[in-house]
Amino acid sequence: MRMHFDTSAPAPIPTTPSADDRSTAFRAVQGGGEMQSGEKLLVEAYAALWLILFGLVFISWRRQKAIDARVVTLESELAKVRAAGESRKSGGA
Amino acid sequence: MAESAIVSKAAAPRGSFLQNDTLFYALLALTALGIVSTLQVVAFRAPTEASMGIVQKIFYFHVPAAYAMYLGAAACFLGSAGYLYNGRLGWDALARAGSEVAVAMGIIVMVTGPLWAAKAWGVYWTWDPRLTTSMLSVLLYVAYVVLRAFAGDGEAERKFAAALGVLGAANLPIIHYSVQKWGGNHPKVITSGGGGLQHPDMKLAFAMGMTSFTLLALLLLWSRVRIDLASSRLAELEQEALELGLGEE
Repeated sequence: MRMHFDTSAPAPIPTTPSADDRSTAFRAVQGGGEMQSGEKLLVEAYAALWLILFGLVFISWRRQKAIDARVVTLESELAKVRAAGESRKSGGA
Repeated sequence: MAESAIVSKAAAPRGSFLQNDTLFYALLALTALGIVSTLQVVAFRAPTEASMGIVQKIFYFHVPAAYAMYLGAAACFLGSAGYLYNGRLGWDALARAGSEVAVAMGIIVMVTGPLWAAKAWGVYWTWDPRLTTSMLSVLLYVAYVVLRAFAGDGEAERKFAAALGVLGAANLPIIHYSVQKWGGNHPKVITSGGGGLQHPDMKLAFAMGMTSFTLLALLLLWSRVRIDLASSRLAELEQEALELGLGEE
């Protein structure tokens, strides 16, 4: 009687590693990638995209606003000083 | 908006298109339209990819964001080289704008890529040549932005940053050719030797993504340059105010 051995079958992976194994290596669950939901990852990617873009636009907008406000204030102050200088000159003449 | 127009006109060189608000807002409207249309095509028209499923739709913004990062980095290189050549502040403003666009787009690439990889490869990150060189490039531009933000705005700092901007660009061709030279896991679907997008609607969505991100990169560059021009105008006014003894606010 001939015995049949299936040599193509992979060696069984121990499902319950010993305490020594656990202290020296962490093994991934087989097929772990498949546990990720494609829909969830897609939504996360698009949410990140818009958060980064809106963040950049918001920071730029705030910077521009702050500079504009300061420029407008300074321009009006300078205009007043210039006008006062002009009137002093014309009064002196 | 009106204030911003006044500032930009006052600060930009006479006759420069940078002071043209109509063009700026036209580009803003065109970019918004492009992005909304791309989203619509990606969501409702582009088919789901056969082996990866719906997560492959990240591709339509991931690759254009990488391309926009190249555009920002190229602007940074051009501005830095121009500044080192003739020392004009306009070139420095372009370099600064380019670095910020490169960082923003680079972060988008570095976030969306691993989310896609989590499904496609089963891991968020692997030290693949393209991933590693891309991360290196993003870190270089982050260093540039941090340098400009915290190291002052003297001529020496500007020159140092310009040198970084020129040398940082050396990594860009390495990113591009890393897949071909060193292999790795990163897909090469649309580069030479790749099989390409196998459906006309996939091609349409990709073309629209590339177009809208080109417009977006140009818009972000322009808006950042406008901020720099307004800052220059503010510095002039502050100097004038000091000379006239207008207090020291």
